[in-house]
Amino acid sequence: MMDSNNAIEVRNVSKHFKVYYDKGSQLKERVLFRKRNAYEDRVVLDNISFSIKKGEAVGLVGKNGCGKSTTLKLLTKIIYPNSGTIEMAGRVSSLIELGAGFHPDMSGRENIYTNAAIFGLTKKEIDARLDDIIAFSELEQFIDNPVRTYSSGMYMRLAFSVAINVNADILLIDEILAVGDANFQAKCFNKLREIKSEGTTIVIVSHSLGQIEQICDRSIWIKNGKIQMEGAPKDVHLEYLDYMNTERMEMAEKERARQEAEEQANPEKADEKEAAKKKKRYGSMDCMFTEINILDANGNLQKTFRTGEEMILDLHYECKKKVTDAVFGFGIFRSDGLWCYGTNTRIDHKDNFDIERDGSYRVDLKELMLIPAEYWVDVTIEYGEGNPVDYYKEALRFEVVSKVSDVGVLRIPHEWTLNI
Amino acid sequence: MLKEFKEIYAYRQMIFSLVKKDLRGRYKGSVLGFMWTFVNPLLQLCVYTLVFSIIMRQDIERYYLFLFVALIPWMFFSAALTSGSISILNQKDMVKKIYFPREVMPIADTTSNFVNMLFCFIVIFAVLLFSGWGISLYACLALPVIMVVEYIICLGIALLTSALTVYFRDLQYILGIVAMAWQYVTPVMYSSERVPEELLPLWNLNPMTPVIEAYRSVLYYKTFPELNTLLSAFILGVIVLVLGIFVFNRLEKGFAEEF
Repeated sequence: MMDSNNAIEVRNVSKHFKVYYDKGSQLKERVLFRKRNAYEDRVVLDNISFSIKKGEAVGLVGKNGCGKSTTLKLLTKIIYPNSGTIEMAGRVSSLIELGAGFHPDMSGRENIYTNAAIFGLTKKEIDARLDDIIAFSELEQFIDNPVRTYSSGMYMRLAFSVAINVNADILLIDEILAVGDANFQAKCFNKLREIKSEGTTIVIVSHSLGQIEQICDRSIWIKNGKIQMEGAPKDVHLEYLDYMNTERMEMAEKERARQEAEEQANPEKADEKEAAKKKKRYGSMDCMFTEINILDANGNLQKTFRTGEEMILDLHYECKKKVTDAVFGFGIFRSDGLWCYGTNTRIDHKDNFDIERDGSYRVDLKELMLIPAEYWVDVTIEYGEGNPVDYYKEALRFEVVSKVSDVGVLRIPHEWTLNI
Repeated sequence: MLKEFKEIYAYRQMIFSLVKKDLRGRYKGSVLGFMWTFVNPLLQLCVYTLVFSIIMRQDIERYYLFLFVALIPWMFFSAALTSGSISILNQKDMVKKIYFPREVMPIADTTSNFVNMLFCFIVIFAVLLFSGWGISLYACLALPVIMVVEYIICLGIALLTSALTVYFRDLQYILGIVAMAWQYVTPVMYSSERVPEELLPLWNLNPMTPVIEAYRSVLYYKTFPELNTLLSAFILGVIVLVLGIFVFNRLEKGFAEEF
């Protein structure tokens, strides 16, 4: 039996989808090409259970294909679980597909009636809500025009207004808050808060974690069809972002490996690249960079760093002609061209030196306090007061990720003292 | 079961608006528009009158009336069979995207065809009166009962075929042929007296036979239909409906995944 405090109870629900390789739904195909009916059983939800209290707002997060939208569809009763039970208390309204069932030739007003009827409202109930719906949609002047004459924004506004004014006990929302302009979105948000304060249970699926944090009391993170974590939205989202970052780093690593393999397999292309690179280098070239690497604290090649991690620039050069009064330097630029940091051996008062043979230098950036973005590194060999020997622009690219969403250029170490 | 009926009742406004939309949209864009609802059967009657009183003469008195009063109810059944079977398929976008009791679709489709038949009955009455054939008001008391029985049969068939068609799309074409064949095994164009006696038990299994005979008895022979006929039609209708509901309930949960 369902706990009377709960609005939704999901118990041990599993959902598989049959993914046909080539499905035939005609008799001939069914009979003649039996082999073609081969399918793969893809598990989308694997024995998940959760319950949601009356009046609670819960966000479902997870990466694409993790099963969160499937969960919402199960709650809407569009599809049904292979095993397990779902119980819901009260009238359900869904903002999943806004405007499904709108008839383009009918007026906005008529469509309000048909659309609200799809949510199970009787004519009397719709009559009572009609003014609210029209007022909320801000479509007073257009309400008797056929819906086909509406702009897509107007269309969505009307659909949203109907769905949100159904006065459901449970409201299911899938990525909807991309409705209309900023003002209308703010209005939708306020309406959602109002609905919530009236005791409506809300379930939201969204990639916008900020939206969920604004409305929800709890987040459920679904990973590979299982609940990975649930709790206060902030806590869950930090863990989730951290996981996503790790995954991005792995992806970037793979991409780099792939590119390298391609270059090796395709020396011509590598040459082309070399030529392109040259354009970004200028100077006397008496001394030239031969190898440039970005390493992590363990000395491994790395292209993605977390804010605050150690990053090492490892640079090798060959010497063709003696360079006197040499200066090594580097600069870090954000991908949009903003110069974030730059220094050289002269600024840092390293002793003057000459270069007579091949060698290398390292810059150990102990704490990389850049906030998440893509960055470029320029590396330089100069002599005297800024005369280029090998000025190598955009020699390297790296990315910074973080689970903290602060803004600006640098993370300045800080502490808060609150005397409230 | 009770819960489902309650839910369908709660969605009555949706059924109502679907029926309205269908009836209004049926002849959309044509000059005569909704008038086609009346013009269509009238023109058909003209054709039958011409054909059967001049070319293919029949020994049945005023054969065109004999045929017409059976053909209009038959067309309701035939439409329910063919358009009913694709009622879910045609609304797949809605079925995929939103929840509503799926029964709403075949119910709305059948009801819309039913209402269309009611409009055609205005033409039938007009023709019966103006041709001087006349109407027996007493016999007509049975009409609502017959119509309800036919509605039950049609709804049962629509539930059954609409659910099956989702999984087996060929059914919609097969049913077109079935509808045509079915018309010939039902006494629409002939009197059931022409059916060989030894085949009669088989003939009476056809739920449409008693229905069509009842219509004809009321409208053509101007007599109250035999209670036996009505009762057997009703029983067959209920059987079809129960079967339809059973199959529909079994299959409806997978609809959204089939599109």
